[in-house]
Amino acid sequence: MTQRPLELILARNLMSALSTPAFLVDEGGLLVFYNEAAGMLLGKRFEELGTVGPQEWGSLFGPFDESGEPIPYDDLPLVRAVRAGRPAHAEMTVRSTDGTQHDVEVSAFPIQTPHGSQGAIAVFWPALAGSNGAGPA
Amino acid sequence: MKVELWGTRGSIPAPGPETIRYGGNTSCVGVTLADGSMLALDAGTGIRCLGLALPDEPTRLHILLTHLHLDHIQGLVFFAPAFRPQTEIVIWGPASPEASLRDRIARYISAPLSPVEVRELPCDVSFRHCPESEWEIGSARIRAASVSHRGPTLGYRIDDGDSSLAYIPDHEPALGVDLEALEEDWISGFALARDASLLIHDGQYTDAEYPDHVGWGHSATSHALTFARRTAAERTLLFHHDPLHSDDQLDDLRAEARQRWVELGGEAGAVELAVERTGYELPARAPAAAATV
Repeated sequence: MTQRPLELILARNLMSALSTPAFLVDEGGLLVFYNEAAGMLLGKRFEELGTVGPQEWGSLFGPFDESGEPIPYDDLPLVRAVRAGRPAHAEMTVRSTDGTQHDVEVSAFPIQTPHGSQGAIAVFWPALAGSNGAGPA
Repeated sequence: MKVELWGTRGSIPAPGPETIRYGGNTSCVGVTLADGSMLALDAGTGIRCLGLALPDEPTRLHILLTHLHLDHIQGLVFFAPAFRPQTEIVIWGPASPEASLRDRIARYISAPLSPVEVRELPCDVSFRHCPESEWEIGSARIRAASVSHRGPTLGYRIDDGDSSLAYIPDHEPALGVDLEALEEDWISGFALARDASLLIHDGQYTDAEYPDHVGWGHSATSHALTFARRTAAERTLLFHHDPLHSDDQLDDLRAEARQRWVELGGEAGAVELAVERTGYELPARAPAAAATV
């Protein structure tokens, strides 16, 4: 068994207590957790879905840009945060399991530790009405 | 591997008639490895008595610090071997982006808090950040990992032959989570304690006290027991007793912990409260046997 880095454990603990949808990926970009609020947004709890690989994520929930085109994996804020070690922000649309679409703003930031980057956190906010026109920032 | 408890109290020394049986000294555990190498786990006030018990002859000793809160380093300047030129001491501890281990410890071993400076210690002392990967001291393999507490804090696992000791004295693995339901790889400290011959673990608060101390970095009794059961440690010592807990209160806590451990399906007698000046032999492939030092 591989022990998760403490920073990821603590991040998950914090996210579990938040009512804001939040997602956690490890240093390889693997989606390793999202909280109950995120589960409500997507229509599926994390416990039902389990760990999701980078490519599967897009096919399940989008996300899409303002023209309805899937946002390339490499442009997702979480991926940019993990790879570049920099914060990233974007507006996008995600699709829940019942087909409902949600316009959201996403802010992602890397989890930097003394041993380097261990992953990233993304927090989703409801987009202001009609604001989803910018695509990935 | 021989394990001796020289300080079992948490937070601040608690000497007095009401703590005389479980002890009032802060965290320090002496470990003698199969090849005779000596370790001290933490350097609370208990290390003073450990130092007095060591022979006055050329000695090499490793001190493994979990973190630098005062109750884990306060005994350093009263550790007699540090004042002998023939002693070599290697101090291991957590790295910090802020300053080196030596510089952080020197904040305590310097004026006005201390009458001596680190550079004035007659012994040969060196400071090392614990590596991410396992390393060897004498006949043992040592592993350190960050655990849930306030500030950079490590837990240790020492494997010597077939016996293993996990030492996680300051630990709040249940902070914000249901420890019963959490997957193993998401439990702080799990890999350190898994299947250990002896687990020495934080048990500072009763379940009734814990709600007023959430986030303080310590465990309630039920958290420690759940952690011990999930990790399948052969034997567990609840450690880092609250300074406000008298011997009589700890007797009650001991009885409660032992009963709840059995109710959880554990082996009777496999959970105890740490008692200062108690020793344990960890033989290969057999449960730890207790003996009074």
